[in-house]
Amino acid sequence: MSAYIVSILTEGAIFGIMALGLNVIWGWSGDFDLAYYGYIAVGAYMTLVLTIGPATAPAHYILGLQLPYPAAVVLAVLSSMAVGLVVGLIALRHLRGIYFSIVTLGAVYVMYVLAGQYVPLFDGYNGLSGLFDPMGDWFGLDYLSYQWFLMGLCLVMFGLVLLFMWRLSNSRFGMALRTLREDERAAAAFGRDIYRLKLKGYVIGAGVGGFAGALFAAYLSAFNPSAWSPVEIIVLYAAVLVGGRGNIWGVVLGVFIMGILVQESTRFLPEVPGHPQIVLALRGVIIGLVLVLFLRFRPQGLLPERRYVDPQPKLEPATQTA
Amino acid sequence: MNEALLTLGFALVTASILALSAVAFTLEYAVTNVANVSHGEILTVGAYAAYLVHQRTGSAVAAALAAALAGGLAALAMHSAVIGPFIRFGATPTIVFIATLGMSFMIQNTLVIFFGAANVAYTLDPGAPQHIGPFLLTPLDLEIIASAIAITVALYLVISRTRFGKALRAVSQNRELARVTGINATRVAAATFFLAGLIAGYAGFILAESVGSFNPFFGFSFFLITLTAAVAGGLGRAFGTMVGAVLVGIILEFAGGYVSASYNLAFAFAILAIVILVRPRGLFTNARRTVFE
Repeated sequence: MSAYIVSILTEGAIFGIMALGLNVIWGWSGDFDLAYYGYIAVGAYMTLVLTIGPATAPAHYILGLQLPYPAAVVLAVLSSMAVGLVVGLIALRHLRGIYFSIVTLGAVYVMYVLAGQYVPLFDGYNGLSGLFDPMGDWFGLDYLSYQWFLMGLCLVMFGLVLLFMWRLSNSRFGMALRTLREDERAAAAFGRDIYRLKLKGYVIGAGVGGFAGALFAAYLSAFNPSAWSPVEIIVLYAAVLVGGRGNIWGVVLGVFIMGILVQESTRFLPEVPGHPQIVLALRGVIIGLVLVLFLRFRPQGLLPERRYVDPQPKLEPATQTA
Repeated sequence: MNEALLTLGFALVTASILALSAVAFTLEYAVTNVANVSHGEILTVGAYAAYLVHQRTGSAVAAALAAALAGGLAALAMHSAVIGPFIRFGATPTIVFIATLGMSFMIQNTLVIFFGAANVAYTLDPGAPQHIGPFLLTPLDLEIIASAIAITVALYLVISRTRFGKALRAVSQNRELARVTGINATRVAAATFFLAGLIAGYAGFILAESVGSFNPFFGFSFFLITLTAAVAGGLGRAFGTMVGAVLVGIILEFAGGYVSASYNLAFAFAILAIVILVRPRGLFTNARRTVFE
């Protein structure tokens, strides 16, 4: 039972970091980005190729270094940010609304097909494996105590990301991103560089996603195309939406609800003989249904974002100075 | 040269299926101004209906009709359960886009519950390949191409000659103005979804038999190619979309023939990204306004 709680908390912390990164792009900047899961995957793949050492005989992959795990994580985050920068440069320039979503959907499928089919990159469909207990031997941990260590590590990192997001949320940059979401023209009229701000937010989001991917790689110790699929992003969107997009405490609540209640409650359903996927599929139906119902009846989520009100709404225009 | 012509022949089959799927998608877009992400699931539902009916009756014609009917009902249900209410509620196109993505996820997983996630083999006897002009096609391929042309002609007549077609065009050009003149926009949109669903369901049937197998996710991956064709032809423009579909079908078949079929999706999206960035209103328009919501 304690192993079960350890695994839920580890997964929950990683899932929480993913959702907080997505919240920058969708919650604050307001762009429905479908490529996000690609950045998580880039983070996970890069962590693996930087730590597991050179490829042996039938396997092919790039790099194949044996860096210490923290160094690999930093490089993996930078890779995700680089990929996010490329996609953002193309997609954020002129496109908004569904056209932005369609181009990012395209981008993530290009990543998925390349990772899954182009063997020299990340060994194609076989994927990568062999990252066992990173940093474990530094502290001389055995298998069981390592699980506790990884849980602690993920929870601490989740806390740090949350702190970073909390600071970002109240910063001028965070405010500026929200302004873009509400009214781009007005923001431009006040001298905001829309493209730069959106791009900055997008790259930060991609980096946080890559960071979650790097932790995910340590948790799974392997990553391959059957471990991820671009549509899984729906679960993250459902979490952010249910909690309250734009509000980091709402996002945490959403992760708790979607992660713990939906993912875990269906775990105890009886297995139906001959239908191994039925529980997983039922979970998918529930997630889709929750997404549609919340969009329709409570789009602001359970913990809505605080609305900022002008403290001096009746200021005379003539008295304002530049 | 000869091989290029053979590839062109296969490309025509792909293009026919793609044209039907894309024109259905663009009709859905035209009357609602919303990209229906669960469009691919109409094809999937059509394929399952065809398979089930074919098993019971052994008749390909009955299977085709069942596919079309199931597709029509599925599309009608999507409109009346989700898309219509969201539009009446005043949701932005992006919000409806997200909702249809959620709906797509729901339908895929519901199909997994009932039919399992495994591939279902579904092949009709294609007959012996014959040389037709420079092409090498089976009788089944010819039937697919002929049926696509026939459906296109019928659709053209419905849109250009009937009262319903006139209402459809009115709603697609300006929903509010159409309502002012007494057109029941919701009903026209629902009827258009049913019509689009008939076409898409049939497209699911011919896609399944031309691929030879299908699973609950097969419509979604084809939707990604459909989207490319529809955007290339201009979203909401039925006949531009057809031309877009033929072009995309040919490009994909050549790319697949010369590089590798497994990169098809990546190719489709490379085309899509270029089209959206360079000609966001589609290839065949001289509209100056760019898309900027």
